[in-house]
Amino acid sequence: MIRLLFRLLPLLASAWALRAAEPLAHWAYQPVVRPTLPTVKQSAWPRTDLDRFILAKLEAKGLQPSPEADPRTLIRRLYFDLLGLPPAPEEVETFVREFSLSHSPTVPPAIGESEKARKRESEHGAVARLVDRLLASPHYGERWARHWLDIAHYADTHGFERDQLRPNAWHYRDYVIASLNADKPYDQFLREQIAGDVLAEGSKVQGPKSKVAEAAPTKETGSQLSTFNSQNLAATGFLAAGPWDFVGQVETKSDVLKRAARADDLDDMVTQVLTASMGVTINCARCHDHKLDPISQREYYGLWAVFAGVKRGDRELDPAATARRETERKQLQTRLRAVSAELGRLSGEGLDLADMVGGGNGRGTGTKGAGLDLRTGSVVKDKLGYHRDSQLNRLQKPEWSDANTPKFVQWIFVPDGKAPVPIASQVTVSNLPPTSGHAWDAIRNGALNAQVSTTLDGVDFAAAGHSLLGLHANAGITFNLTEIRKASGFAKLRFTALVGFGAGPPAAATRADFSMFAGKELLFQKLKLRKDESARVDVALPDTAETLTLVATDGGDGIGNDLLFLGDAKLSLTVEAQSLAAADRARIETLRAEEKQLTAALAAKVDGDKVYAITSSEPPVVKVLRRGNPEDAQEEVAPGVLACVKHAPADFARAKTEGERRLALAEWITHPANPLTRRVLVNRLWHHHFGVGLVDTPSDFGKGGGVPSHPELLDWLAEEFLTRGWSVKAMHRLICTSAAYRQVSGYESVSVRGTKRAASAAPSLPHSHTLTPSHRLDASNRLLWRQHPRRLDAESTRDAVLAVSGKLNLAAGGPGFRDFKYTEAYAPIYDYITADTPELWRRSIYRFVVRTTPHTFMTTLDCPNPANLTPARTATTTALQALALSNNEFILQQARHFAARLERAAGADAASQITRAFHLAFARPPTREELAGATQLVRSDSLFALCRMLLNANEFVYVD
Amino acid sequence: MNSPYASNLRQRSATRRDFLWQLGGGLGGVALTTLLAEQSARAASPQTPDARPHPQNPLAPKSAPSPARARAVIQIFCPGGLSHVDSWDWKPELAKRTGKPFDPTGTVQFFASKPGNCQGSYWSFRQHGQCGRWVSDLFPQFAKCVDDITFIHSMQSKSALHGPAMFMANSGFILPGFPSMGAWVTYGLGSENENLPAFVVLPDPRGLPPGGVINWGAGFLPAVHQGTPLNTDPELPPIADLFPPKNFAGITPQGEQAGRNFLQTLNRQHAAARAGNTELDARIAAYELAARMQLSAPEVTDLRGESDATKQLYTLADEDIGPFGRQCLLARRLVERGVRFVQIYCGAENTGAKKIRPNWDSHEDLVRDHGYWGRVLDTGAAALLTDLKARGLLDSTLVICTSEFGRQPGAQGKGRDHNAGAFTAWLAGGGIRGGTAYGTTDELGSKAEEHPAYSYDLHATALHLLGVDHERLSFYHNGVQRRLTDVHGHVLREILA
Repeated sequence: MIRLLFRLLPLLASAWALRAAEPLAHWAYQPVVRPTLPTVKQSAWPRTDLDRFILAKLEAKGLQPSPEADPRTLIRRLYFDLLGLPPAPEEVETFVREFSLSHSPTVPPAIGESEKARKRESEHGAVARLVDRLLASPHYGERWARHWLDIAHYADTHGFERDQLRPNAWHYRDYVIASLNADKPYDQFLREQIAGDVLAEGSKVQGPKSKVAEAAPTKETGSQLSTFNSQNLAATGFLAAGPWDFVGQVETKSDVLKRAARADDLDDMVTQVLTASMGVTINCARCHDHKLDPISQREYYGLWAVFAGVKRGDRELDPAATARRETERKQLQTRLRAVSAELGRLSGEGLDLADMVGGGNGRGTGTKGAGLDLRTGSVVKDKLGYHRDSQLNRLQKPEWSDANTPKFVQWIFVPDGKAPVPIASQVTVSNLPPTSGHAWDAIRNGALNAQVSTTLDGVDFAAAGHSLLGLHANAGITFNLTEIRKASGFAKLRFTALVGFGAGPPAAATRADFSMFAGKELLFQKLKLRKDESARVDVALPDTAETLTLVATDGGDGIGNDLLFLGDAKLSLTVEAQSLAAADRARIETLRAEEKQLTAALAAKVDGDKVYAITSSEPPVVKVLRRGNPEDAQEEVAPGVLACVKHAPADFARAKTEGERRLALAEWITHPANPLTRRVLVNRLWHHHFGVGLVDTPSDFGKGGGVPSHPELLDWLAEEFLTRGWSVKAMHRLICTSAAYRQVSGYESVSVRGTKRAASAAPSLPHSHTLTPSHRLDASNRLLWRQHPRRLDAESTRDAVLAVSGKLNLAAGGPGFRDFKYTEAYAPIYDYITADTPELWRRSIYRFVVRTTPHTFMTTLDCPNPANLTPARTATTTALQALALSNNEFILQQARHFAARLERAAGADAASQITRAFHLAFARPPTREELAGATQLVRSDSLFALCRMLLNANEFVYVD
Repeated sequence: MNSPYASNLRQRSATRRDFLWQLGGGLGGVALTTLLAEQSARAASPQTPDARPHPQNPLAPKSAPSPARARAVIQIFCPGGLSHVDSWDWKPELAKRTGKPFDPTGTVQFFASKPGNCQGSYWSFRQHGQCGRWVSDLFPQFAKCVDDITFIHSMQSKSALHGPAMFMANSGFILPGFPSMGAWVTYGLGSENENLPAFVVLPDPRGLPPGGVINWGAGFLPAVHQGTPLNTDPELPPIADLFPPKNFAGITPQGEQAGRNFLQTLNRQHAAARAGNTELDARIAAYELAARMQLSAPEVTDLRGESDATKQLYTLADEDIGPFGRQCLLARRLVERGVRFVQIYCGAENTGAKKIRPNWDSHEDLVRDHGYWGRVLDTGAAALLTDLKARGLLDSTLVICTSEFGRQPGAQGKGRDHNAGAFTAWLAGGGIRGGTAYGTTDELGSKAEEHPAYSYDLHATALHLLGVDHERLSFYHNGVQRRLTDVHGHVLREILA
């Protein structure tokens, strides 16, 4: 094998040389070379070396840079840029003071050069300190994670037809936030996202001395080792972040359709990794060689081979901790069962059948709301919908996840009502009315999906002290009386319950039946039960009966609205409650206390954390697919990378496992000599700081993408990035303190310098007459003779509204907030609600993002579709946005909170209220005219009306 | 040109264009907006009908690059998979083989089942109109309009799964995230009534179709091009957030006006100090536009002005048909008022509704479910075609009816499984040659046989009728100059009038 490789090497080398000689010398594939700093005429302007690159270009074109923005503009710009939040008024004032120290009365008016220099120094120091403070804020990671999650097309549901929840996806989102806040070196950040699971394995051997451990967040008190391992695992959520088609991957019976869905899955992963990290539009080579870039179709499938063993799915975040927790939970459960059983025996209370459906012992140990799926017997927590395809009369055994669950529920089934249902040998249940054979939701310890009423005969069975057993037609359930007698010590049993409808007005005309069997004996039956009726059952059970079977059927008119349920369905001792001895009474008290304690302890032991990430398996053989058709496989390909990027060969030879293939790719991508990875990242940072990248196609550095406006600057930044240890925060610091970044964004400032008052005094003049030479020569501002004004994105708008209203909930991390009502169905339904509670007032980065049903308000404000990799957001201006910001209930409520906040802070004086409002919303006091206009509005209408309009103002949604 | 888009986007397409021209052009990747920009830059020429009342409005009407036959599109979408062999694709051979094995080899695997025996149409077919096209008895009203219709019998999809196939039918790609046809059309042509959204969607009142809201999404196009759902419930405001919620305390009409005046004054002062930033002017204009929309949108959904005869035509009073009839009537009113693209959904998906399948996806009881939905579609579509024709709107309005795929000729119990290999779409008006058909399926209706067609061809033809070349309507996204028709699509000239 090795010899073969040696023989091939010269061939390979010559192939590479040949390629190098080809006229494919695209700039982006050339090595990054540190350029010499250009000389500039206005040597006083640059604040950092990067400014020299900007100024040199401007001077060459005869353009002037713009003056520095005033401190209010700067602090607002920096806050939104780095934190995505507005500055508090006090912070603004402090900064303005610090910034303007040189103007304070103690310092004589600036005239000499040294004074000028001192003033600049003071300004610079103020900005640098502010930037440092912002970069140290935990909200920095929340802001910049949004940019990365856009590239990762992260969301909290699968997408496609059956858009199911991904309740554990958020660990990846938190990983990104934590990594950014910790300023994790970017190369490590990428490696973890591509092959973190392998790094986690490796680090177990290496121990916490490795580089990985140093940057690991240490929020948990548990072992350092396990913390960073699980973080690395969460990192691979990157590969799984995109959409995934459950129907194509799992549900369909057709292999052709499954292969097609899997092909899209792999394409998604490969595209995500290469586009995010290297700005290569690799997906263009799926059906043919890339039309513009030197990427062959074969190379594309070589990358497929790297990911061929990767699938998306939930994975234990920390298997050891989960196992520990499971053991503790079992011990608690065992004790609780014993306590409850003894309590029941002593007190003679009835055993609750609904509790048994929830996996309990009849005394409240079961899970409230849990149900048993009629089709499979599995335990379900989420609500289910309509079942047409159930197997009829087929007994399903409850699939308890905990082996110690009492075996009180023996079977569940969907009856057809014609054939007898065999419950046990020699025992069948018959004489049931015929049914449609369809079913709804599950049998539940609690209300059913879509249940409207929980009240019968004036008693609300959902209230404390009562129980509710949901039994929608058509469904049957058999309880094992033998087991129940054994566990409870009850010999003679009596069954009592109230049966009725939990449906709403549409059920007026529907009918349903209820039947009850002890063994095979039909002991109670109510046919054609009406919605406005209920039936009381109170039957003594024969001692010989080994089973109790309850059946709800549809009354022959379909199952629509047949929401039957049983209130307080109990098995109790038939003997009268005996008078208790004092000792027993004391014992009962002790047991009650212990029961309470155990229940609380158990509730604290929540499920082991899982992360929606990747699972690894033996990679299948990958073949080139002609025209991308999964049914037209051609020659086999081995894992590989792109030949057009020649910094180093990827070392797949040593990759023994699936994960090591990804690690080899990750190392190739993050190799210091990779010409693309660093250039792409510094350009992304530039894009977000200036609104446009030096390359204006941040995810496409190919021939079809943009040409860099400042190629030397791009390389200089990429080199600085390496010098500064791949530190993203160091790059922010560099850019945000530069003179280029700190310029004003306005157009006319250059020509009307010093006469600004004149411009604002004549607002009605047509705009065009003040255009500067810079504007004429470079209207689109590619050379950055000014900063770009920018509109807040959807998330920042929402966060800013909450910050200004005073209601922003800064709780960080954890599961996303769900501002919708969720209904389980074949394709789940997401109905949005107005965010009107603190839990829903968290930052937008913590919003639970649904793919098929995006949030209308956010989408209207240009929040992108998470099906797409979004390197750059678009900003549209539409009438629907105006309507959303003026009339959406969320905005109106927040405007009201804003007004209340002003009243609290500024008292009843309108002028103080308005001044405070302008400070909060715009980081400045109102002008005299504005104060007059606002006062008039507050007087004629209300403070609320003013607050609502301030949230709609251009100044609120634009950053200068 | 005052492009509606952020300056960076504008710059990007210019760079891209230069690049393509250097390569010799003809790669078909030039953004239409750029072309239009050149047209309007070329002049002040009096022939340019491109009047721009609000230069900042991305939905300002744009003249079609080539002569247009249609001014607007109404698309009826029947999600779930409408069975072509029970509706419009007459298969006498299938009827003959009813009860005989469909797949004697036993190797075929459909989406959810192994094929059962051949099953002929559950409804009889008859010839209709001057043209004598065959239509099943499921559509007695619609059959009377057949002389205005072109059927495309050879439609195919690239997926037999609802989600991907819905995306393909709407956006040309089986993956989510691509702009829907309505978004592309308004991106290319804007709208003739800026007081209403340019692309309006009338979802089924029972819920969203498979794949959800993103079926009418703008994908990577600017969000202004996404479909705006119009609430068909007369009790609710027609557009989300058109007005503050009812009974929100502290909002009065006078206060609204005073607040708006204050806002615009504030915004004008703000803009004056930032002369040259036209985005600020655009946002000021957007608030004025929003105020006009508050007047024009409720007017559209107010049906009181419609005659009793019209209401009867659309069968508005019927419990089952009424909601769809209302959607169709609203579509006519929208098009009448200059809305460019209207999409109507005849069926839902993610809904908790029971008894009847919530859309055409008839796996277990085709007679029950197609029977129900057929009656709905038959009445509404026939009313729409009749009404448009009577008002002289059919010539300038392209009506399209499609599904994401068809159903299998081999039975699945009493139903039929998914069939991506063949389905029928039909078109009417807007430059379509009536009374004809394009393409065929094999003798059983299992697969497209003659002139197989995909959504690409349907989309290319529709764009052509709107005066747009589908190869030139494009938008740069992550390395590719994207099109509605991907790298495919042929205008089906045979079906043009």
